Amino acid sequence: MIAIEGVSKRFDAARDRRHLALNDVTLSVAEGEFVSILGPSGCGKSTLLYIVGGFVEPTAGRVLVKDVPVRGPGPDRGPVFQEFALFPWKTVLGNVMYGLQQGGVPRAEALARSRELLTMVRLSAYENFYPKELSGGMKQRVAIARTLAYRPNILLMDEPFGALDAHTRTGLQNDLLHIWDKDRKTVLFVTHSVEEAVFLSDRVVMMSSAPGRIKQIFDIDLPRPRSRAELLLDRRFQDYVVEIEKMFDDTAQQAPA
Amino acid sequence: MNAVRQWSERLIGAVPIIGLLALWQAIAMSGLAPPALLPTPGVVFARFFQQLGSPAFLDHAAVTLYRLFAGFMIAVVMGVTLGIAAVGSRAFAAIVTPVVRVLAPVPKIALYPALTLTLGYDDASKIALVIADAMFPILLATYQGASAVEPKLAWSARAAGVSPVRTLFTVVLPAAMPSVLTGARIGLIISCIVVFLAEMITSTDGLGHLLMRAARNFQTVDMFVPLIAISMLGLMLNALFNLVRRRLLRGFPEEK
Ligand SMILES: Nc1ncnc2c1ncn2[C@@H]1O[C@H](COP(=O)(O)OP(=O)(O)OP(=O)(O)O)[C@@H](O)[C@H]1O
Ligand SMILES: [Mg+2]
Repeated sequence: MIAIEGVSKRFDAARDRRHLALNDVTLSVAEGEFVSILGPSGCGKSTLLYIVGGFVEPTAGRVLVKDVPVRGPGPDRGPVFQEFALFPWKTVLGNVMYGLQQGGVPRAEALARSRELLTMVRLSAYENFYPKELSGGMKQRVAIARTLAYRPNILLMDEPFGALDAHTRTGLQNDLLHIWDKDRKTVLFVTHSVEEAVFLSDRVVMMSSAPGRIKQIFDIDLPRPRSRAELLLDRRFQDYVVEIEKMFDDTAQQAPA
Repeated sequence: MNAVRQWSERLIGAVPIIGLLALWQAIAMSGLAPPALLPTPGVVFARFFQQLGSPAFLDHAAVTLYRLFAGFMIAVVMGVTLGIAAVGSRAFAAIVTPVVRVLAPVPKIALYPALTLTLGYDDASKIALVIADAMFPILLATYQGASAVEPKLAWSARAAGVSPVRTLFTVVLPAAMPSVLTGARIGLIISCIVVFLAEMITSTDGLGHLLMRAARNFQTVDMFVPLIAISMLGLMLNALFNLVRRRLLRGFPEEK
């Protein structure tokens, strides 16, 4: 589904400040697979996601989606940004409907589809609110609904739950898995949390920094559908978390300060 | 509670204006300037309200309002379009930027004689002058504001399949609206000033013309009336502007 082939990215901020953010990253993601990317801050996780999204061009290498090289953004890949990036001048409903209306979907259908999504993320009561009137977790759910609205096959999620408190975060993780179980989209999910990565993913990709490279890939062999309460008691889940966390610590220590 | 606060804020806002009028009154009564040259505010306002009943005076005010409004609206459309286009296309920005740098500091009023020769003494030359003066602050504010828009807003639209040009007008422009409106407000004030100046230089109608006619005939009271009128017009347009602004900026965090 997604083939990342030898992707490197160098930022030339100034002649003396060249920075190799990504070095020869190769990764393929199968259709319907949920893959998380873990790594120390600044190792190029966001940059990699932006390249797959077609927002940023790689310095070398290429990304294929369904065997077609990525040349720019497209509705087959839906990004959810860490900063929400909601349109402040539009209501919750307006945000979710925007892509559909621009895409020429008739108003009645766009409205019905958007309301359905808002029900799914439990925000129907807030459809006329503006983003500034919502809490962080609610904004994040609007952002997810806005992206799901145009039905991308691939979701590119950049630390979507990073800025949230632990309780809201686990709630949204459950919501996300629930939504994902319905139609099994392909997901690339960036996170800082090992537990979150193990809980959600089929595979966890560990990156190391300066330059950003893939260090190791872990297969997470846990049954689905997953429930948080059960997994926390599951020995295999605990082992994965401990093993990956240890690797994460080593990686972070190797990273130059 | 809120209404009380609003009213008290408005009352406080009236204090400096009352102060200004009191100063005027004091100077007029002090004898520093002969009453024939500087009438008291009471006399001027009495004449102003009397003129509000005169169809001829209202016609002059309407002509000024038309020129001001037409010029301002065209300046908004041109300034916003050019500013957004410059953000959207590097090639276009490369053409527009030097032109703006050269033209913006030119005193447009100096072009007015040329404008009257080409466009005549009627509305067109005055509207053109208003456009020339009001457009630059709007263009610059639009360009600055649109350049500073968070790229992820535009990315979100592009990812939904929206074309770059549509994204520019449906996402980048609304996101830059606070800045665009700041530019437009400056443009509106400039429009009030410039239309009046143009009418003072050459005109057969409008508030500026009334002022010059009164000055030539030493009718000092009538000289001040058009000033009050343009100030009132500005106040009204500003109130209208705030209404539109509040609507357009609903949802922006910095708006109450
Ligand atoms: N536009 C840019 N110009 C210059 N350097 C950049 C730019 N964007 C990212 N970088 C650099 O590339 C590196 C990777 O950045 P990136 O945002 O991808 O990291 P990240 O892994 O997402 O970090 P975090 O976990 O903190 O979000 C960083 O060292 C950063 O300084
Ligand atoms: Mg990041």
